[in-house]
Amino acid sequence: MSPALIAALPFLGALVPGLAARAGRDAAALAAASATLLALLGLMSHAPAVLAGETVLAQADWLPALGLSAGFRIDGLSLMFAGLILGIGLLIILYARFYLAAGESLDRFLTYLLLFQGAMTGIVLSENLLMMLVFWELTSLSSFLLIGWWGDRAEGRQGARMALAVTGGGGLALIAGVLVLGRIAGSYDLSAILAQKDVIQASPLYPLALALILLGAFTKSAQFPFHFWLPHAMAAPTPVSAYLHSATMVKAGLFLMARLWPVLAGTPEWTAIVATAGLVTMLVGAKIAFFKDDLKAILAFSTVSHLGLITFLLGLGTPEAAAAAMLHILAHASFKAALFMVAGIVDHETHTRDIRRLGGLRRAMPLTFAIAAVATLSMAGIPPLNGFLSKELMLENAAHVTPLVALLATLGALLSVGYSLRFLAHAFLGAPRGDARAHDPAPGLWAAPALLAAVVVVSGLVPMATFGPLVDAAASATTGGTVALKIYHWHGLNAAALWMSLAAIGGGLMMLGGFPRLRALWDSAPRPEAKAIFDAAMAGLTAATRGLTAAVHDGTLARGLAATVAVIVGLGAYAFVTGPHSPGSRDLLPLQAAPVIGWAVMTLAALATLARHRDRVLSLLLTGIVGLLLSAGFAWLSAPDLALTQITVEVVTILLMLLALNFLPPETPRESRPARHLRDGALAAAAGLGAGLLAFALMTREAAFAPVSAFHWAQSKPGAGGTNAVNTIIIDFRGYDTYGEIIVLGIAALVIFALAASVLSSRRAVERLQGLRMGQDAGDPHPPMLVAGTRFLMPLALMVGVFIYFRGHNLPGGGFVAGLVVSIALLLQYMASGFVWSERRQRLQPQVLIAAGVTTATLTGAAAWAMGWPFLTSGYRYLHLWPLDEIELTTAALFDLGVFLCVLGAVMLALSSLSRFAQHTEDREEAR
Amino acid sequence: MEALIAIAIGLFTAVGIYLTLRLRSFPVILGLTFLSYAVNLFIFAAGRLKTGAEPIVGTTELPTDPLPQALVLTAIVISFGMTAVIVMMAIGSYLELGHDRVDPDRDEGAQ
Amino acid sequence: MSHWIIAPVVLPAFLAAVLLFAARLGNGAARGLTLAGNAALVAIALALFLAAAEGPQVYRLGDWPAPFGIVLVLDRLSALMLLLTTALSLVVLVQAIATGWDVRGRKFHALWLFQLMGLNGAFLTGDAFNLFVFFEVLLIASYGLMVHGGGGPRLRAGLQYVAVNLVGSTLFLFALATVYSVTGTLNMADLAVKLPLLPEGDHALIRVSAVLLMLVFAVKGALVPLHFWLPGTYAAAPGVVAALFAVMTKVGAYAALRFGTLVFPPDLAVTAGLIGPLLLPAALVTLALGAIGILGARSPAALAAYAALASMGTVFTALSAFTPQATAAALYYTVHSTLAGALLFLVADLARDRGAHFGPGSPRLPGGLAALFLIAAIATAGLPPLSGFLGKLMVLQALPQAAPWAVILLASFLALLGLSRAGSALFWKPQGPAAPLPAAQLLAPGLLIAGLAALTLLAGPAHDWLSATAAALHAPQAYIDANALPPAKGP
Repeated sequence: MSPALIAALPFLGALVPGLAARAGRDAAALAAASATLLALLGLMSHAPAVLAGETVLAQADWLPALGLSAGFRIDGLSLMFAGLILGIGLLIILYARFYLAAGESLDRFLTYLLLFQGAMTGIVLSENLLMMLVFWELTSLSSFLLIGWWGDRAEGRQGARMALAVTGGGGLALIAGVLVLGRIAGSYDLSAILAQKDVIQASPLYPLALALILLGAFTKSAQFPFHFWLPHAMAAPTPVSAYLHSATMVKAGLFLMARLWPVLAGTPEWTAIVATAGLVTMLVGAKIAFFKDDLKAILAFSTVSHLGLITFLLGLGTPEAAAAAMLHILAHASFKAALFMVAGIVDHETHTRDIRRLGGLRRAMPLTFAIAAVATLSMAGIPPLNGFLSKELMLENAAHVTPLVALLATLGALLSVGYSLRFLAHAFLGAPRGDARAHDPAPGLWAAPALLAAVVVVSGLVPMATFGPLVDAAASATTGGTVALKIYHWHGLNAAALWMSLAAIGGGLMMLGGFPRLRALWDSAPRPEAKAIFDAAMAGLTAATRGLTAAVHDGTLARGLAATVAVIVGLGAYAFVTGPHSPGSRDLLPLQAAPVIGWAVMTLAALATLARHRDRVLSLLLTGIVGLLLSAGFAWLSAPDLALTQITVEVVTILLMLLALNFLPPETPRESRPARHLRDGALAAAAGLGAGLLAFALMTREAAFAPVSAFHWAQSKPGAGGTNAVNTIIIDFRGYDTYGEIIVLGIAALVIFALAASVLSSRRAVERLQGLRMGQDAGDPHPPMLVAGTRFLMPLALMVGVFIYFRGHNLPGGGFVAGLVVSIALLLQYMASGFVWSERRQRLQPQVLIAAGVTTATLTGAAAWAMGWPFLTSGYRYLHLWPLDEIELTTAALFDLGVFLCVLGAVMLALSSLSRFAQHTEDREEAR
Repeated sequence: MEALIAIAIGLFTAVGIYLTLRLRSFPVILGLTFLSYAVNLFIFAAGRLKTGAEPIVGTTELPTDPLPQALVLTAIVISFGMTAVIVMMAIGSYLELGHDRVDPDRDEGAQ
Repeated sequence: MSHWIIAPVVLPAFLAAVLLFAARLGNGAARGLTLAGNAALVAIALALFLAAAEGPQVYRLGDWPAPFGIVLVLDRLSALMLLLTTALSLVVLVQAIATGWDVRGRKFHALWLFQLMGLNGAFLTGDAFNLFVFFEVLLIASYGLMVHGGGGPRLRAGLQYVAVNLVGSTLFLFALATVYSVTGTLNMADLAVKLPLLPEGDHALIRVSAVLLMLVFAVKGALVPLHFWLPGTYAAAPGVVAALFAVMTKVGAYAALRFGTLVFPPDLAVTAGLIGPLLLPAALVTLALGAIGILGARSPAALAAYAALASMGTVFTALSAFTPQATAAALYYTVHSTLAGALLFLVADLARDRGAHFGPGSPRLPGGLAALFLIAAIATAGLPPLSGFLGKLMVLQALPQAAPWAVILLASFLALLGLSRAGSALFWKPQGPAAPLPAAQLLAPGLLIAGLAALTLLAGPAHDWLSATAAALHAPQAYIDANALPPAKGP
């Protein structure tokens, strides 16, 4: 079976429990178990080859450009770990089936569990480090989901988030570390990396890569100072604790260290960091475990301590130590998983995990007691169990380092004896306390731990036959050489390890005896509470980010605009001064009296608007004056089309805004502080200065290249059939721009329409509308003279509009201006006779006008397709009808018609939307 | 004359920016109007100024640049549409909220 | 010359006009027409996507040659953005209909179609002023969509959104006028040809216009410190509209990329050392602020908004290097973050509709929504197994410098913390009943997830295609040649 399939099976299995849920718990558990079993069998099929020293590889491309490939490998190390994961996984599935309470969703639990299992298997079977990162993060994620299984409990939520924060953060460091390592080695494939020990260790980036990778490993394996998350992960259901947080996930960091051992280990940095961290963790974990009262907490801190032990061994950097580490991984997995399950059983039966309320359970639960005894004695390192074997090897290795290390290692072993015996003694021995109705559980619950206990015994009695080959293969893969570890009980009287063990056992017994006094000492000593620190840090971080976000993004418009303007002016100035500039030398226009006067009035009006902007009606009129004079300026400066457009748009805009002022307050209150005025004034002045200077620089120079408009000028009559170059540009050469422009108008009208509808459907808004008092000062709302005047103007205006429309191609005019002129005429009707009156007489719906305009323009453009020409290609023809002069027919005129209709419709729709507001105000219009 | 036009552009920009930074919706709209005057004049002026040289074929040999005029035309119409929309939004928010401030109230909760 | 190139612009406009004519037919007809139209657009975009691999194709509007008329240019980048936009639009439209958002106001479908027209037109154009016009089309349609459904706070946020964008549009015009005044042309390929020949005395002015143009795109792409509009707007907009807006900020990135590789490439003497060095710090700060905002968000919608900000920061970080490898990474991350951002907005919208918030009294939410949030969070935080992780790896590999690495990894950490806190607050609640999600509302998120999964599994082919795109962008001679410009005469 391909290694890829072995890794994939648990994922595939994760899909099944949900589907099998209908058929009951057994079906779900069986489905999950079969996926795991299949994977295990597939793995075993490779065992003979791997144990003989081969490495099985399977590669597929995923993202070669990144160096990421879907590569899988099975060597001794991955065989051992994968066997652990899948084997214990099977037992856990069995246990979980009976452990979970009736109301809980076993299929969802198994789905998460299998997801985790697949991810973990993926880590150990990965050939490509980048792919391993994928699985690494997946284990953090699935662990998060499993720890938070009882999400309604605060401890579950907090434990899950703490675990995710620490392991996720470490994962990010690992990403960086792997990327650096890959850069050094030139590849992310293990086969390539593991062969480059010298290159890697000689590289200046080695310390950085080492630090980052170790950060990832230490966070995952709960090494000091990152150990504090593990005990809080005990909020998870016991199967999860047994599986993830003792046997598998926390070993991922150890796996990584073993996997990269060939290229990272052997340097002083490695030994200093890893061995020290391991030793410290071993001691700290053991010390805390001794004084805990929750059964699972004891086991949790004990796990921390044992992980530290393994780390210490890996840190020593010698093949013997590495082999001892492998042995302890196996041994620890067997007895710790069994112990967690025992804790779960005790909890299940007595409904408490507090060791102070337990006692004498050996009579009530003899079978459980037997299992617990085997496992705890192994944990304490008592022969002839497997725990003794590996601990002895550890002590032996420690003895070879320095006396201090040997002493500390002995101390660690001593403490582990202490808490192990405490676990056994205070829960199972002595006088019965607590629930006397407790009894041994159903076989489903004790089968798995019993099997594990059997493994503990057997592997302790015949280690070389059972664990031996596996340990050798794993250690060989780890060290890159061939290792054959001799595992046996009696090392001889000369072995330091023997005396250290005896000292440990003796000391542990004494500690157990003196427990009450030691406990009193411990309780009185101050202890930093890791969770409290972590919670405080998290709360502080969250509060800080919240405060910063709220402070920076306070929702005010002016802040964003002020920042924008400041950056624009600043960067614009920066760009200018950092580049070569030579001023232009174009001839400038001479000053003439009339334009200067017009300019002066315009400028004064602008300044007046600024000064009196609080009086809204006045400032609006002043703005209108500015616009009108601007239009005059355009006319003087040879832009008649512009002048026409500017003036008509100006009129419509001012009318629109005057009408709008009916619905807004007429005055702006004084509410800005002087400092704010100063800031805004400074920004405005800077922007104005920049704009003015830029404009002057541009006006006084010629273009660097001939402008494209020379073509437009030359081709206006022959190519586009019109003499008004501006108009031909708008509806022919750059007609596509105009197409977009009329659609902008159309969309604007639609937005206004929809806005009005939504505002008028809001009760609050309608009430406010009705409260507005309008037009008290106007006297007669519909003065007869105005009415008569506008009636008279209407046909004239229509004629002017049509005239402007037709002449636009050759003389100033065109569809826009025509549309605006006609809409002004209609506007005047509104103003004179009222909205209601005008609405009743309006036949053409504005929306239809807009649609007609867009459609006309689109179809005119599309008609060119029929001739094989691109969109908006125009054609023209001259028509000779006697006795008229030659008439020119252009398709562009049709396009201009579309423009006309769209402009008309848009303005009308906007105004009719406004009129709907007016209908709700207090003085209703009366029909005339 | 170019200097005067440049001064006008600068002035309109300054007035426009200043008004846009106000706290109420109507001055903001006025400010945006002034900004559009400024930029329209700017685009037009960037094509270089001439008098008596309307770009109608047959009336002159050396016309002003017709392209900036076309661009300004487009810009005027587009900003007209935008102005109409923002005016309606100002009215709508005034009617819904009861005030015409552009910034959120304390109780609306900043984001 | 294929007329299909202009179909993405003309078809939505035409259909919207039909909708206006047929307003009387009611909402069902509008929904059907818009869905059919959008689906047709996806098909057209796909066909164009496949055709673009052969090289840039030019469509001359009005049959006028460049640079005198306006041209559309279909190259790999514009085809990619077209496909992304139309596909996302279809998916989000489905959700808008499924949740009933489209009937909470008027003219939704017409505005939706016009919005598509604006986006497509902006991606296809080869003319700078035309880009402005279509920016305005897409902006004004977005104003309408943003205030869809009404309400005081939404209208006020809309007012701010409009004001900021009007200032941006004004800036765009200032920049364009400067460019035209100095060079005499508006066609982008023509500018690419002419700018290297620019006399030295004109350099400063073009530098100013380059900066101004990039600032316009920075406003659109929400780059610090021009980003202030984004949190308020995206949190106040209707959820489905915010999901579509996931592609709107990408327009800013697109334009910056287009101008930064074609008109103002890194080797152009005029703008040397101007764009890239200014872009990187701004992008990193944007990413940092976005990540801080994710952790400090007060509501699910704000969370999604700050996630959008952070993703723009990442995209611009990758863009700022202006190398083919970094550009390919930026493009991959663009596609990923569009899908992931839209997904997160849809999830936030579903949660908000059920009254969910981060406080203790938030109601119990259905399990399906929890699963969706989990996937959206994984995608947003850039965790495996989804494409965000691969995208992040690509960016890290393309920018092997200390500052980007530190900011990207720390930002990921903050995002992880923020998303797990949000998920815990929203979904880990006491047992109780919760109305399940209707199947119709699962379709759109499901499609987005499928897109993300495809992007992950097919990362190899996708990256190859994007690398070819990036290579073509950094060697724009083919683009320029396709425009068939007249030979450039010196000044």
